[in-house]
Amino acid sequence: MIDYRARFRSNLLIASCGLAVFAVVPLVANSGLMFLAGLVAINVVFGLSWNLLFSGAGLLSFGHAMFFGGGAYAMAVVSLRLPELPFLVGLAVGAGCGALIALIFGFIALRRASGVYFAVLTLAFSELVHILITKTTFLGRNDGLVGVPRPEIDLGLFRLDLTSATAYYYFIIVAMAAAAFALWCFQNSPAGRLIQAIKQDSVRTAFLGTSVFAWQLTAFVLSGAIAAFCGAVMVPFTQIASPEIAYWTVSTQPILFTLLGGAGNFWGPAVGAILFGAIDYGTRAMHGLSEITVGTLLLVVVLVIPGGLLGFVRHRRKKTRGTAKASTAEDTGARP
Amino acid sequence: MAYKINRRAVVKGMGATGLAMPFLNAATASAQSGPITLGVVTPLSGPAQLIGNFVRHGAEIGADYINANGGVDGREIQLEFRDSKVNPNDASVAARELIGAGANLQLGTISSAVALAMGPLLESEGGVVITSGAGTDKLNHENYNPHVFRVGDSPVSRNAGLVRHIANSRPDIRKWAGIIPDHEYGRTTWKIFEATMRKVIPELTGEEAEIAEPVLVPYGSGDYRNYISQAMRLDVEGIYTSVYGGDAVTLYQQSQPFGLFEKTDVLLDSANEFLVATAMREQTPAHWSGFHWYYEANKGNPLSDDLYSSYVERTGDQYPMGWAAEAHAAIMAYAKAIEKTGNTDTMDVIAALKGLSFDSATGMRHIREEDNQAVKNAELAFIEPSSSEDSGFAVTDYVSLDGETVVEPARPGKTLDLSTL
Repeated sequence: MIDYRARFRSNLLIASCGLAVFAVVPLVANSGLMFLAGLVAINVVFGLSWNLLFSGAGLLSFGHAMFFGGGAYAMAVVSLRLPELPFLVGLAVGAGCGALIALIFGFIALRRASGVYFAVLTLAFSELVHILITKTTFLGRNDGLVGVPRPEIDLGLFRLDLTSATAYYYFIIVAMAAAAFALWCFQNSPAGRLIQAIKQDSVRTAFLGTSVFAWQLTAFVLSGAIAAFCGAVMVPFTQIASPEIAYWTVSTQPILFTLLGGAGNFWGPAVGAILFGAIDYGTRAMHGLSEITVGTLLLVVVLVIPGGLLGFVRHRRKKTRGTAKASTAEDTGARP
Repeated sequence: MAYKINRRAVVKGMGATGLAMPFLNAATASAQSGPITLGVVTPLSGPAQLIGNFVRHGAEIGADYINANGGVDGREIQLEFRDSKVNPNDASVAARELIGAGANLQLGTISSAVALAMGPLLESEGGVVITSGAGTDKLNHENYNPHVFRVGDSPVSRNAGLVRHIANSRPDIRKWAGIIPDHEYGRTTWKIFEATMRKVIPELTGEEAEIAEPVLVPYGSGDYRNYISQAMRLDVEGIYTSVYGGDAVTLYQQSQPFGLFEKTDVLLDSANEFLVATAMREQTPAHWSGFHWYYEANKGNPLSDDLYSSYVERTGDQYPMGWAAEAHAAIMAYAKAIEKTGNTDTMDVIAALKGLSFDSATGMRHIREEDNQAVKNAELAFIEPSSSEDSGFAVTDYVSLDGETVVEPARPGKTLDLSTL
């Protein structure tokens, strides 16, 4: 029987340890590295939001950039055009914008298609959002929106000043750790189990009286809202929202993170995002080599360890345990 | 094998981290004594790599020149390159990472969108950037930021100069159209072209200029045929284009079968210098192009001669383009500013750059204190196909216009006043 309490505790520990490791970065690294670490933290949750769909609901999305970009632009618009609105409202609007995009496109795509066709539809919708951004003067067209300010949050009793890059970095890692753990809780809740049951056998789940469409749409909207939340959190950090963040190449990133880290493990995309960030940083002065390195690594992972890095680690641990058990059994059997 | 974390291991780890802390920011500690590191954030991949390579060579040749002549107060200049991918997002990440590594003085921005994004970013992070070809008028007008300098042409001096020269030499051509990239740089150039043409043609001929709505084309598109068909339908005598880099080569090549440039009398290219000509060779349509630096117009200037010969020696390419001179000028400006102020602190370098006069491959340049815009001469050349040249093209005419006569008045924080063009 699965001990859910033990799982809850161990995953809370993983999220806390991740938070602690990221929290040390500003103390030991320069501001440039801290900035990159902040982006990696955002990418961790962006990857997890994509994997909620892929491993959780069995839906392959090639269009996650539309949510990320939608949330980022919503936040930029609120910050620049409606500065009187509180920052937390901006975040809510950002996440809500992603949820709305997911609701509209998910409603159409999930009714009309599945499998590869669904994936291609999400890619087409994403490109539509990207083109809309580049053609909308209100959103700065191809130039985007620049100079997005970092906030001060009024919490009644005290004000939280996040205007410095370091303060905002700490806000990012706390927000991302909370979002990651919330995602884990959802995936391990009865609703999350139901969505996984739909992935395993949608016909049988429908026979049990479940609305497959409604639950898949729920997963799509939740995933879109979390991805948009990531975009909304990122914009005050980078202080810019440009159309590139809604481009299809951004949609490929969570896929890469998941493949590298391992789709079968909840934390797989997180490991992939950190590894991807490390490679990007390591090859920053080798122009054009970054893409080649990531491509080669991906090829190796897919061909040699299709379960990703965490899948490989789990496989090795199982093998080691199996060998240990066998040798223990042999030892026991040899005793008189 | 089992690994255990115990109290001793934690204490040891904390001790080691504490000891290592002072060395992690060694770059900052040695910032005022060792080599001077300048960050170069420019496109080194993708369609604009063509231009980024000129920036890279120009910056390297400039740094070599300074170092060969004793450095800046004995300190050597080192360059740290990052790929901007002509993408404000990637460029801002690279700029921040460089500042974190101690390279607070930067150069190399060629994209207007990237240059506009750099202002607030560098202000909050404590850096400076000298652009190497970004052509938006907002940079020294409504989006003026003290942390961003342009030591090259203002878009007004380049485009208004080009228009005035053509209008004076061919006042009979009154019907114009434009093929314009649909982003900040394109809209800026078109605004200046249209305003200047509408002002100059009536002054010269007494008749109004007829200017069609511009054909707006996207950045990075591999297929411009729909836009070319759109331009073919217009009844015009001259075409102005500010599509640049690899996009311009694609546009010109795809225009060939349509006969777009044969249909018109004059083709004005705002900035491609030899980019199109080196790609199309004998197929190059005859056109006037604006230049940041045309070496023949600067023969006898030791900095220009060194830049040209060093570039040819490094690359074997006989046709260096002006972006190299803009990056080269940025190095010269930083060297003189650091020499003046004695350190590389951001605010001190900003103060030193303001009002600075320095020598460059196009002669003396002066950075205006009010809006960080340099005053330099505007250079234009007429490029024609030539079967007698190995390259397949030749420059048959060029002009160099005095910067003071073509640059607009300084209006930092305010929009460009088109009536002054």
